[in-house]
Amino acid sequence: MNGKMEIRLLVERLLAANGDREPVGDDESLLISGRLQSIDAVEVVVFLEERFEIDFAEIGFDRDRIDSINAICVLALSGSSEACAS
Amino acid sequence: MDSIVSTTEPPKLWRVPSVLAGFRLIPPIDRFPAVVSAVQTPWGKVALLAVFGLELSLLQHDSFFAAAMVLFLGLVTLMPEYRRFVLALSPIAIAIWSNLRIPLQLGMTLAVIALGVVLYLLAMQQPKSHFGRRPVLYLLSGFSLLIAAACWTQPRTIAYQWLWAFVGALASYVWFIAYALTDRTSKPSGDLTLELTAFRPLWGSTNTPFPKGAAYLRRIEARTSEQLAIAQLKGIKLLTWAAVLSLFAAGWNWFFHAYLQIPTSSQALAQSVQGAPVAWHLRWVSLVLAFFESILSISVMGHQFIAICRVAGFNALRNTYKPLSSTTLSEFFNRYYYYFKELLVDFFFYPAFLRYFKGRRKVRLVFATFAAAFVGNTVFHFTRDWQIIRDKGLISAMVSYEASLLYCFVLAIGLSVSELRKRKPQPVSFVHGRLIPAIGVGLFYCLLNVFVIEERRYALIDHLRFFASLFFVHI
Repeated sequence: MNGKMEIRLLVERLLAANGDREPVGDDESLLISGRLQSIDAVEVVVFLEERFEIDFAEIGFDRDRIDSINAICVLALSGSSEACAS
Repeated sequence: MDSIVSTTEPPKLWRVPSVLAGFRLIPPIDRFPAVVSAVQTPWGKVALLAVFGLELSLLQHDSFFAAAMVLFLGLVTLMPEYRRFVLALSPIAIAIWSNLRIPLQLGMTLAVIALGVVLYLLAMQQPKSHFGRRPVLYLLSGFSLLIAAACWTQPRTIAYQWLWAFVGALASYVWFIAYALTDRTSKPSGDLTLELTAFRPLWGSTNTPFPKGAAYLRRIEARTSEQLAIAQLKGIKLLTWAAVLSLFAAGWNWFFHAYLQIPTSSQALAQSVQGAPVAWHLRWVSLVLAFFESILSISVMGHQFIAICRVAGFNALRNTYKPLSSTTLSEFFNRYYYYFKELLVDFFFYPAFLRYFKGRRKVRLVFATFAAAFVGNTVFHFTRDWQIIRDKGLISAMVSYEASLLYCFVLAIGLSVSELRKRKPQPVSFVHGRLIPAIGVGLFYCLLNVFVIEERRYALIDHLRFFASLFFVHI
């Protein structure tokens, strides 16, 4: 499974846990639109730390950078080149 | 999306008939293409502003305020290219106008705005410096030191007056400046007009910035005529809803407190402190009523701010959204006062979560939750009530905070447990999956609110006695 697919599955799982089963586009806003909550962002952060070894304490945290599947993918790409492979 | 969190599709067992499900007390005018097109025409804009001004004057009972808002929002509606400029200068103009007769307050307010701009530019230009890396920590530490310095000055001196005036002005701007400082990392940043727009914005705020800072405004700003029309129609809808809730709240107060003579929770606690408690069942009823009343009042307040914000062209999320549908404590906290929760998350939860206990997931989550719900909540309210520190002194002010401190501590425990349990599978039936959890959440907050009734007026022991008396325990 490639990185982007993993990210999409994570996002869909988080949305489903909130009762949101609407389809989600790659560039669709997740946090700023309110589809995901702050606590869901924590799950994304932990996933990026564990799977792609991203250290947010080092690079700084900005919600915009995890606000869509593509944004998460771009961030993950900075830690690992395989992340957004199609 | 209009809500804070997405709506959950109801299970089939309790789905209402489709005719009722489609019913809306306030029609979704922002989804009617003809209406969206109409409010993009000059006459449509005038009509929208007229409706907005009428609703606002009815809600505020203040025609001057409504007229001023219509004037400023008329400018941004008719000349959207000057939106940021108008919105940046109008709050400063209002601050000057409202403080004209109090020169010291006016001077300190302008000094604080200038300080905010300087700190923002400093953080932008020197991101690698000590200050640039932890600007909010420096801001809050500096503010705390300023309060301590003000406490040590001799009363009735010029230094005392100036320092406390500065503390007062800074207290009302500190979280707005904090958002501006965090904006240094967002892309693109550097637009000073938008930062100034977010400094106690035109649409109003408590000490909690509505809706957050410039980075958020940048993301939700209408960029086309159609987006502006939709945002404004959503604003009108929300303002109408605020008016409906305001009328409902007035009827509620009359029915329960005037007609049925049920005491408010403040009256029930006061009588308990005076040694003449009201009947046991009235204590419970007053608490339950207070819970619903707090939801009503915060909804009306937040809806007004966000409605005006939307009419100004920023499609912000609501502050309060269906809190009674919450099935967990953390969900209620999110739905009840969204922008305060966001403040705690942005300035306390994330910084703690991203730095400490990285290898221990549960400890990390609980630690960050305590940083937000206990430490952040305490810092926010303790500094918000700076007049108590000035009038009573630092130590007495701390002592008067003891009941609120217990409130924050229990809230932090409740939220921690709620977040740790969140990912467990939920039962699907309405009663077990939604009704019972929602009642449990409501009951938790009803009881917790005992410790913030008439905040800081009574000693902790008075609150504890009242709480215990609900369960026939006398201490």
